[in-house]
Amino acid sequence: MKSTQYSEKVLDHFRNPRNSGTLEGKNVAMGRVGNPVCGDLMEVYLDVKNDVIKDVKFKTFGCGSAIATASMITELAKGKTIEEAEKITRGDVADELDGLPPVKMHCSNLAADALRDAIKNYRAKQQPLAGEKEKSDAGKKEIIGFVEFLNKGVFNEVEDLSLFKDKRVMVLDKGEQSIETALELTKLTPRVIFVTASKEVAANPELKTQLKQSDVKILYESEILEIKGEGEVEKVLVHDLNEDEEYELFIDALIILQ
Amino acid sequence: MNAYLDYQSSKPVDPRVIEAMLPYFHDKPGNPSSLHAVGDDATAVLEEAHETIAGFINAEKDEIIFTSGATESNNLGIIGFAMRNRNKGNHIIISEIEHISIHNIAKHLEKNGFFVSKVPVDQYGRVNIKKIAGRITEKTILISIGYANNEIGTIQPVAEIGKLCREKGIAFHTDAVAAEGLIPLDVKRDNIDLMTLSSNDIYGPKGVGVLYLRKGIRISPVIIGGGQEKGLRSGSENMPGIVGMKKAVEIMQGGMEEEVKRFKEFRDILTGNISKDIPKAYLNGHPKERLPNNVHFRFEGIEGESLLLSLKDKGVSISTGSACSSKTLEPSHTLIALGLLHEEAHGSLEVTIGRFTDEEEIHSIINALPEVVGRLRNLSPLYE
Repeated sequence: MKSTQYSEKVLDHFRNPRNSGTLEGKNVAMGRVGNPVCGDLMEVYLDVKNDVIKDVKFKTFGCGSAIATASMITELAKGKTIEEAEKITRGDVADELDGLPPVKMHCSNLAADALRDAIKNYRAKQQPLAGEKEKSDAGKKEIIGFVEFLNKGVFNEVEDLSLFKDKRVMVLDKGEQSIETALELTKLTPRVIFVTASKEVAANPELKTQLKQSDVKILYESEILEIKGEGEVEKVLVHDLNEDEEYELFIDALIILQ
Repeated sequence: MNAYLDYQSSKPVDPRVIEAMLPYFHDKPGNPSSLHAVGDDATAVLEEAHETIAGFINAEKDEIIFTSGATESNNLGIIGFAMRNRNKGNHIIISEIEHISIHNIAKHLEKNGFFVSKVPVDQYGRVNIKKIAGRITEKTILISIGYANNEIGTIQPVAEIGKLCREKGIAFHTDAVAAEGLIPLDVKRDNIDLMTLSSNDIYGPKGVGVLYLRKGIRISPVIIGGGQEKGLRSGSENMPGIVGMKKAVEIMQGGMEEEVKRFKEFRDILTGNISKDIPKAYLNGHPKERLPNNVHFRFEGIEGESLLLSLKDKGVSISTGSACSSKTLEPSHTLIALGLLHEEAHGSLEVTIGRFTDEEEIHSIINALPEVVGRLRNLSPLYE
């Protein structure tokens, strides 16, 4: 079956998604699964009172069936107790949508997982004792290839920014100076990537806003494992700390300020 | 109203081409190998077709080999060359953004004792001549770089690559399918040794293509049989198809310049409007060195298949580099080679215009896009 041959029900939920959006409040728990790398990211928001799901909303980045399955799971979960909601399976979601193309079955899996993740987070909220674990020693590891490519695309200081004109430049988070460098670079090239191991960029509010509004692409919770290329930097191996996934990214230059 | 804006995937056959082909299905059944009069007629037509195609690319008529299409031409050109010349070396250079057929041919050769280097491209999809030169070894026998990219429309510095190859005594193959009919091709000017052409890409029938093989370049056949096309491509000639491709070339020779002018106007209207109407929309590919019929954007925060589906609901047919619309669930290797993240590669829109595109179709996508992108961004957790 072609990926776009969806049932009428899938198309209906895709065209008119139920319960899209977000929720806020002290009874709200959010679950998130998938990642943009595989092309699907799903968030489910639950408003729970006395263990009953009063309201549920979703946000999805993904294909047609990713949107439809998220929409469907909100309908299935609404009004149920969290015990009942927890038992909703990927099969239930797919069945309710009159089936999914085989290659898309993982999307229905995601929706059920996002719901379960939200329920898990709701329960954790009820017992707020378990503190969040500190992430690994991200950013402290030595990057393979740093010495080999130093001044062959890797720079630990920048004097002449014009060197980077029209290049794909990656800037590693080394505090405010590195953010300023990244912003400055956007005047010279359309492609600037800022890599930080944290969930949020640490900087004064003004600089932070400037960065977010700029064309700088920010990779949160990421670190660089390895630099690769033939004679000069051509790509890097990036580690997504949140998903614990590795992927390669083509770049021309990497700035790691001292 | 239905707008077909996916000429890159498939082109309608020009009605004039169909008309030229028709007699060769019934009234003129000749096989060029036959010695009788009907066969002689076919021989003459086949000869003319060689001449016409040769004229289109500034080649000689016996440098043209008819095949079943671009994929076969790539196979014959690359595998045929590699097998015939393996005593001279076993290293081949391609780029990261070659057509999937070239990538898979490269994999096949790697399983058979060859080494393949892939040259990266810059953020606009252009190969850097220095990076190619840096990968050449004494074992390098062939460099294959597509003339222009079928997805993002970036045109390669073909003349420079040809010059480099000629200087180094390395054969140069180029898959010119995306460029034919849009850029004047000249194998002599560009020092091209082998070139792939397709019939459908100039509004001829599918199932026909050409490999240009410069005199003096030796290859082995990959299809063995009765020795047609100088023994390099056996099998009775597909006469209706060959006549169709010949006619398609003749039409192109008469009107390419004017056609390209029209495409550029449409392209620029579309590019201008998308940039104006939609925030965080980025053009993929080269801003200037690009095919006149190609518009390729990525929209932050949305995924290509849902974009494609939404536009389908509005009667607009386009293409996307999204994984979810592909067989492998992998995003387009071309977009990844530009340095895009997977999530960015997933959010792409590819519009290709062609001979039968009219202004109304261009406006239907311009009108549909802002709403569609806005709706999907509202649903997206990746767009603030």
